[in-house]
Amino acid sequence: MRLITHNMLQCHAKNCNSNNFPLQLSQVEIVNQETEFNPMFLRNMLPKLEWNALVKTALQINVTLPTVLPESTTDDLDEEFLKTLHGILLETHILQGAMTCPNCNRVYPIKDGIPNMLLNETEA
Amino acid sequence: MKYFIQFAQSHEEFRLPELESLAKIENVKISYNNEEYRKNCPFLIVDIDTEKEATQLIKRAILIRNIYELWGVGKTYEEVHTQVKSKPERWSPYDYKSFKFLVSAFGSTCSSDYQVRIINSFAYLGFKGDIDLKNPEVQFGVLEDYRLDPYLNLPPSEPYTIYFGRLVASGNRDLIQTYNLKKRRYIGNTSMDAELSLIMANQALAAPGKLIYDPFVGTGSFLLTCAQFGAFTMGSDIDGRQIRGQTNRSIKSNVEQYNLNRKVLDTLVFDICHHPLRDNLWFDSIVTDPPYGVRAGAKTLGRKYPLKRPLTPKLLDGIPAHKREDYYPPTKPYEMSEVLSDLLDFAAKYLVVGGRLVYWLPTVVDEYSNADLPEHPSMRLISNSEQNFGKWARRLVTMEKFKENIIGEHANVHNAKGLDNISFVYHRKDDVSNEKAHSTNEKGKKKLGHYLFREKYFSLKSEEKINREQTWTRYKNQIQNDDGNHTTAPSSSSTTTEIKSCDKSSKEGNNT
Repeated sequence: MRLITHNMLQCHAKNCNSNNFPLQLSQVEIVNQETEFNPMFLRNMLPKLEWNALVKTALQINVTLPTVLPESTTDDLDEEFLKTLHGILLETHILQGAMTCPNCNRVYPIKDGIPNMLLNETEA
Repeated sequence: MKYFIQFAQSHEEFRLPELESLAKIENVKISYNNEEYRKNCPFLIVDIDTEKEATQLIKRAILIRNIYELWGVGKTYEEVHTQVKSKPERWSPYDYKSFKFLVSAFGSTCSSDYQVRIINSFAYLGFKGDIDLKNPEVQFGVLEDYRLDPYLNLPPSEPYTIYFGRLVASGNRDLIQTYNLKKRRYIGNTSMDAELSLIMANQALAAPGKLIYDPFVGTGSFLLTCAQFGAFTMGSDIDGRQIRGQTNRSIKSNVEQYNLNRKVLDTLVFDICHHPLRDNLWFDSIVTDPPYGVRAGAKTLGRKYPLKRPLTPKLLDGIPAHKREDYYPPTKPYEMSEVLSDLLDFAAKYLVVGGRLVYWLPTVVDEYSNADLPEHPSMRLISNSEQNFGKWARRLVTMEKFKENIIGEHANVHNAKGLDNISFVYHRKDDVSNEKAHSTNEKGKKKLGHYLFREKYFSLKSEEKINREQTWTRYKNQIQNDDGNHTTAPSSSSTTTEIKSCDKSSKEGNNT
């Protein structure tokens, strides 16, 4: 699972509707997987991301990001910044690990890079 | 400038929608006379500003073989020659190029003598370059249209139309071989064939910089074809076993086989009815083949028969069952109308404005009408193409989200929700003909072409079987009568043995 995907996911157990994002990563095994650098795609996705959540998650896996987004429109972000972003969002791949909901502590496992977000009967 | 397109001989209803999608993707202005297009004819004359745009337009086309610059068109060769001769300035750039002439007919064959005669009739072009059949610098095509007469069901004695032009570019049908399911390492019984998967990627306007999602990903065909055209892709499925596959055979191995690691982002396990995505306009397109239960039953979280006792987590080897890696929760059948309304609501909520939803809808052919298609206030229909299988069909529906989704607005699946009520499921064994007699429900509304599709699909099959058996019985009786009357037509003896042997096999079939 790439970090861009992580930024899209929240806990969705029954009655867990607030403080359910971002899911906290733990026991992670990380690999770098090459992905096409596509500035157009990054500009497309950037306004949709929760920046604070990304910074927080990056810290959990020992990567530091600027705490605030550069004060510019997404169209003229400089290439260097986009490359850093690309490395974190698209090339950092979580192979194994767990994601814990900060609210209800539900744990979602990640195995072989595939997050299992399936709820059980009582949670749906 | 005028060009003519030579379409591939398949999926006739998908040709124009694909052409329109390509024009949108490549931002090429095209115009053609819609009334001129015939499903039974693979040629279409189009207006495009420049040759560069014509090339651009079809570079990723699946249903277009070639595009030619139109030099002459008519009912007879005289008409064609007159038009070609009227613009000699068009020929001169090719005076000294190596060239090749191709003569072919749609719906007929051309003998080599005939081909030579036709080619020689163009001798006035006076090309001085070499003839090169392998790598010509320029290629010319004479294409005759002998399409079947729809009333007589016969080809005409003379061609309807003759087209002559210079080959400008070819489509990308080689991709069909690249993605051929026979060569793919991991497939399932519901994997979509390569040609249709690629057409769907074109319908979804898959292109670099976009994110495309498949909520019923299965074995991941669309992740591959959309990524082939440059989009980033993502998929999910309630059944993680399909995604993971077996060692060395999984979605992951397919992604590696096609070298699309750089494009296919992630696959996740969850039920689209209970999904963990944050509210946002994440996707540029949604491309999917929802499970309607023909080959794989549609499932959603829940139980078919609600439990009477309170739920307690089951323990297996001391671990709660739902925490095991191979956990697959109880599921209940997912009615088609629910699948559709959930899919449309999801698309309206998570697509960007201008984004597309491309999905399959199965229908019973006799009962289908265009009004049956599901609707949503923020989505509009772009195209709807049928792939016919006789009594049933499936339709590739392309919709566009054209305005912001308003909270509280929902898909209209034409009251189909009330229709697939449980009593029908219980009574479905009663009698199909009875059900057919009332093609309206209690409320007096017409039933939909996809209404109770699964039940009908299987009953059509059993109906066919009954018809076959009845035919055999009739034959058998007739032959017995014939025997009684001592008719000794020479052919009847052979027919009798044939029928008997078939009869025997059908009996065996009944015993097993």
